[in-house]
Amino acid sequence: MTTRTERQPVRKILIVGGGTAGWITAGVLASRYPRRGDEGISVTLIESRQQPPIGVGEGTWPTLRATLKQIGVTETDFLRACDASFKQGSQFVKWTDGGESDAYYHPFTLPVGYEERNLAPYWLEDPRGESFADGMCFQTSVCRRGFAPKQITTPEFAGLANYAYHLDAGKFGPFLRDHCIEKLGVGHLYDEIVRIESTETGDIEYVLTKSGQTLAADLYIDCSGFSSLLIGKHFDVPFLSKNDVLFIDKAWAVQIPYSTDEAAINSVTVATAQSSGWVWDIGLTTRRGVGYVFSSGYVSDEGALEELKSYLSARGDLTPDLSFRRIDINSGYRQEFWTRNCVAVGLSAGFIEPLEASAIVMIELSAKSIANLLPGCRGGMQQAARIFNDTFRYRWERIVDFLKLHYVLSRRTDSPFWMDNRARESIPDSLRECLEYWRDHCPWQEDFAHREEVFSAASYQYILYGMGFKTDPAPWLLNDRDRSLAREKMNEAAQYAKTLAASLPSNRDLLSKVRRYGLQKI
Amino acid sequence: MVNRVVLNGQIHRDVRIAATRPTRENAEVNTVSVVPREFPRLLAHYPIFYTKNMETGRFEPCALLGFQPKENLFFVDGRWDAAYVPLQIQRLPFSLITRRAEDSEGKPPSLDVALDLNQTVQSQEGERLFLDDGQPTKFLQGITSMLSALVAGAKETYAFTGRLAELSLIEPVQIDIEFVNGSETKLQGLYWIAAATLKALPAARLAELRDREFLEWMYFQMASISHVSGLVARKNRLLSGVTK
Repeated sequence: MTTRTERQPVRKILIVGGGTAGWITAGVLASRYPRRGDEGISVTLIESRQQPPIGVGEGTWPTLRATLKQIGVTETDFLRACDASFKQGSQFVKWTDGGESDAYYHPFTLPVGYEERNLAPYWLEDPRGESFADGMCFQTSVCRRGFAPKQITTPEFAGLANYAYHLDAGKFGPFLRDHCIEKLGVGHLYDEIVRIESTETGDIEYVLTKSGQTLAADLYIDCSGFSSLLIGKHFDVPFLSKNDVLFIDKAWAVQIPYSTDEAAINSVTVATAQSSGWVWDIGLTTRRGVGYVFSSGYVSDEGALEELKSYLSARGDLTPDLSFRRIDINSGYRQEFWTRNCVAVGLSAGFIEPLEASAIVMIELSAKSIANLLPGCRGGMQQAARIFNDTFRYRWERIVDFLKLHYVLSRRTDSPFWMDNRARESIPDSLRECLEYWRDHCPWQEDFAHREEVFSAASYQYILYGMGFKTDPAPWLLNDRDRSLAREKMNEAAQYAKTLAASLPSNRDLLSKVRRYGLQKI
Repeated sequence: MVNRVVLNGQIHRDVRIAATRPTRENAEVNTVSVVPREFPRLLAHYPIFYTKNMETGRFEPCALLGFQPKENLFFVDGRWDAAYVPLQIQRLPFSLITRRAEDSEGKPPSLDVALDLNQTVQSQEGERLFLDDGQPTKFLQGITSMLSALVAGAKETYAFTGRLAELSLIEPVQIDIEFVNGSETKLQGLYWIAAATLKALPAARLAELRDREFLEWMYFQMASISHVSGLVARKNRLLSGVTK
């Protein structure tokens, strides 16, 4: 027996909030279910009229290329509108021991042979004087020399090395908004929700807006940011704080202009460890975004600002006219993300410090999952919610583990922040068990349960071996065939790095050319 | 090395330039950039494709002359073996250079004809550039109009290929060729008209392409592809040592 409610079609979607989360979700849903009159799915987005936040520069994952392509924007328009640049990974400076030469890369291109075999044990056996990332991936040499990941003749969204973007988040939302409204038929209104009405079962029945409109939908997507209008304020779903694992809870952010129009644009996010956190340094086409994320338990706001200033001063970037902005960070996520007929995406669902740029990729994954799980009728929503919640709880847990890994592997002893980060009680069991396992087994794909991991075994390898973790693989698990395959692949990577060095433009040069000529679709 | 100087009727009054052109050094290329207005004449001899300009990534048409770098199968025994030589080769060793604003007494930048002095320049025989009174000869006037046609042609080219790319009417093509001696080659980095997309194009778009002459140019280029087999035949004759 099905009730009338259960047979109620799920066809009207209301997205609440128009930031990056709202517009990516709108774009993904509307491009997946193209508008067809009264027959199909309708997507409407409501946002309050306010100035977009001033973007500090945000990092993304290579998944964004596929997402943008699906939404249907061109890479040229995106790069131009969002002051975006090419990001090829991250560089971690002074994380391991804090010494002068302490720096390693986490590139986006997978280690050699990764599609076929786990070759990490053979690098461990004979590193030939090279770091893991340098030996196992050509991309570190591309990054170090400031090259772009592609040429002007490379088609849009394609690369000679894997890449993502650095972008101005304040411009990204409005860019997607124009496309969603004009090309994808997403309904849009500037208004504010003042009341939420529920049905007897607890679903949201409709919302009332400040201008007096009644908006009813079958599914409500909460993209309202930290204010969490629906999932938090209305449904009161508890927020699980992760501050006991990841201590970062505040940030200072600042924009740094380039000294000249020709100044190099770094193609990686540089994360430099400080006494009580780390400084991000992100190069857009128009300026750099720099900021210090820190833990208020270990340094005062003033102390943190001084540290950030000395970071800038050491690079000749400290000028009197800079304006520093303080941001609060509450690390954690909701106990569940999809409840009744409401699902949260973006900051309303959770936020973890930006160490590995997980915010936008989580939005993309959420939007994609909602599109894939979308039930035909209300009756199927509970199951969709259950699957979504299981998947995303798992994903948030993995992000927490992966970020914590960076702190756990540090050998810095210069401040209680770093020492306390290695305290056993602050490390999740799941991470501890993995680290135990990885003492004689190099991380591999089967070590993780899901098909689409946010951070793959490749990422774990780059961090573990970048920070000097020792795996001692059992000799009886190694063989000559894979050993020579590893040699061969590592030689190929070195050769490819040389070929690219002769043919890639600098990151700045290519971005200027894209401004001028654009990239071809094919 | 190139040594370009702006031509001047007084300074270069006695300069003569080799009557038999193109010279070997100007002919040793396996593709040459061409402009749409040449298509009708190119169509008699050369396969025309599109390639991406290495500097800008934009599409431009080119005539295919050989299968390896520097291999020009139309340059035989020191002379060009076709009735029409693409403008981009004909004009050598002349070029246009932009006169900077500061050199032209505040007037907007303009284009001057320049000559590469490191190429065969003589004063005994060959074509004269200037008459005794310093006025340009018919020959130089011909060169100047060729250079102007190339400048105008470049503008038309990018309007043309830009629109084709927007409409997804250009697609990559890879051509595998086997020669008489069994050697093989793959032609890469070439593009041509996406015939299926063209066929499915709405009437209004077709009309727009027709009105802008683009449709005509597209068909010239498509028809020229049949010359690939002629080019292969030229190569096969070389390989098997057969002379014409």
